[in-house]
Amino acid sequence: MGTVTIDQVRKAYGTLEVLHGVNVNIADGEFVVLVGPSGCGKSTLLRMIAGLEEITSGTISVGGRVVNDLRPKERDIAMVFQSYALYPHMTVAENMGFSLKLARADKAERQRRVAEAARILGLESLLDRRPGQLSGGQRQRVAMGRSIVRDPAVFLFDEPLSNLDAKLRVQMRSEIKALHQRLGTTTVYVTHDQIEAMTMADRIVVMHGGRVEQIGTPLDLYDRPANIFVATFIGSPAMNILEGRISGGRFIAADGSEVDLGGRGATERGHVLLGVRPEHLVPGPGGLPAQIITVEPTGSETHVTARLGGQDVVGAFRERITGRPGDVLSLRPHPAALHLFDADTGERLEA
Amino acid sequence: MRAPLSSRIVVYGFSALLAAVCLFPFLWMIVSSLKELRELYTIPPSWIPQNPTLSNYATVLFSSNIPRYFLNSVVISLGSTALSLALAIFASYGFARFRFRGKAAAQSFVLVGQLLPTAAIIVPLFVTLRWLDLVNTYLGLILVYMIITLPLSVWMLTSYFKAIPVELEEAAIIDGASRMGVLFRITLPLSLPGLVAVTVYAFVTTWNEFIFALCFATDSSVKTLPIGLAEFTTEFNTDWGAVMAASMIMTLPVALLFLSMQRLFIGGLMAGATKG
Ligand SMILES: Nc1ncnc2c1ncn2[C@@H]1O[C@H](COP(=O)(O)OP(=O)(O)OP(=O)(O)O)[C@@H](O)[C@H]1O
Ligand SMILES: [Mg+2]
Repeated sequence: MGTVTIDQVRKAYGTLEVLHGVNVNIADGEFVVLVGPSGCGKSTLLRMIAGLEEITSGTISVGGRVVNDLRPKERDIAMVFQSYALYPHMTVAENMGFSLKLARADKAERQRRVAEAARILGLESLLDRRPGQLSGGQRQRVAMGRSIVRDPAVFLFDEPLSNLDAKLRVQMRSEIKALHQRLGTTTVYVTHDQIEAMTMADRIVVMHGGRVEQIGTPLDLYDRPANIFVATFIGSPAMNILEGRISGGRFIAADGSEVDLGGRGATERGHVLLGVRPEHLVPGPGGLPAQIITVEPTGSETHVTARLGGQDVVGAFRERITGRPGDVLSLRPHPAALHLFDADTGERLEA
Repeated sequence: MRAPLSSRIVVYGFSALLAAVCLFPFLWMIVSSLKELRELYTIPPSWIPQNPTLSNYATVLFSSNIPRYFLNSVVISLGSTALSLALAIFASYGFARFRFRGKAAAQSFVLVGQLLPTAAIIVPLFVTLRWLDLVNTYLGLILVYMIITLPLSVWMLTSYFKAIPVELEEAAIIDGASRMGVLFRITLPLSLPGLVAVTVYAFVTTWNEFIFALCFATDSSVKTLPIGLAEFTTEFNTDWGAVMAASMIMTLPVALLFLSMQRLFIGGLMAGATKG
């Protein structure tokens, strides 16, 4: 059973606390992505699961067993490092079979399992090479093979794709996903790339400054971000945030422009933030005037930066926008897809 | 891509000059060891021996203590090199990988040992050896040379170990290796050039050392080759032919050591470990 339970986990280096009580429950077979900006403590948390960092307080359990005091090899986990960390003096086959060799598995068994992992990853023809003779993508696959061979309860990945070029990254992303579907092994995957998180995860854990901001499925986080941090971190281009107040069921921006809240915002509030995703700004009559600053066609969509309600906003439109900088568009925020946040706490405001 | 002819000529020219300067004493040693004693004193000196002879070698091999001293040198140099290497590996690994109280101070002390002048430590060492009853023993000399070669060995190996990515060791730990397993299966194989450099340094330093040997080895059962060379000089004259022949014999193992290890000095072992 590959459940992972992280309960009130804290980490301090000396007097500096970098994780402030993290709780995450991961079900057997789940693909969970830890995502957050640089320095938020994702790697630290992953390394604590792996047993490479001491747990200052709280408990981590793998498969129902508290692993705080167990050595890495007793935790039934395998880890893929950002730099691959392949042993340069061993062949691909030796790299993959190293853990079995240490566990004194017999040679036939070792070869069988290495061959099996090599077949899954398409590495059969490379088994006698050294890591130095492989491309980046091949090294990445060998690093995964090394984990697969051990057949652990949990796979841990720390930014495994960040050294690959953009195209290979997309390809490896789907390979890892396919591998997970095939093996069904619980996976904890660290990245700072929110697209990677959105496309790969069953559930995403958004971290910020050593705390968990929100846990949920990718679309949960996208549709109902719990706070302003998650709202702006998930999604690209990022969500637009307008400052203003609620009065008479309408949002009043700083410059006095009004937005219909579609039946929400019954209570009057002095200081709120209105979040609108770029694709929820709809061009058409009856909207707010927006003066175009830049137009960026991406082919499938057109991204327009414009001045609306005294602030810069970004709109993403399926239709091709022909306007030029300086022209004025009429944009209407889609009333059903608006997000309201408390300006002081940053928390989401419901109804 | 080839460098332009002019710069290649300069490079080759200087390399040849450097090689000539370095090899001249060696060449002169070979030539002199094959000359008769008379010819050694002729002026101007001759480059080709007029009557090449092996009699100097015969003298050294059959009617001097050199063979015994050679054996002593081998035992003492191998012993102190092995001891020094073993201790340096563990000390350096500790310095390179662990954080502990007093580490910086410990590292500085290791180096201070290296900085003390020979003359300042001879007497304390002699007193200590006397007290331990180790004067004129193999073990005594092995320990003395270990003390001399250990500090620099530790410094060299520490920087070698530090250069190995920590992630490699962490990967091995996750794969189930113990600390010792990591050291012997990952760190040491990847530090081979460093280990070779330290071995050669410790061996050559011990092999050539004169002052300590002179003070602590007064019995021919433990005297080493450098002392043997000095013994060809008596109060009234020096058998230069024999000195040259003995020098050849003394130089040979070191030259062989360097040649056989040369390939390993050259790095490139880390290729492919990480993104690199
Ligand atoms: N050995 C250490 N000693 C002191 N502080 C540390 C140590 N290791 C990490 N930290 C601190 O802990 C915090 C979290 O680091 P961590 O490596 O987990 O970040 P991360 O989320 O993985 O970031 P990145 O995306 O850059 O990898 C950082 O502020 C970092 O400075
Ligand atoms: Mg990290």
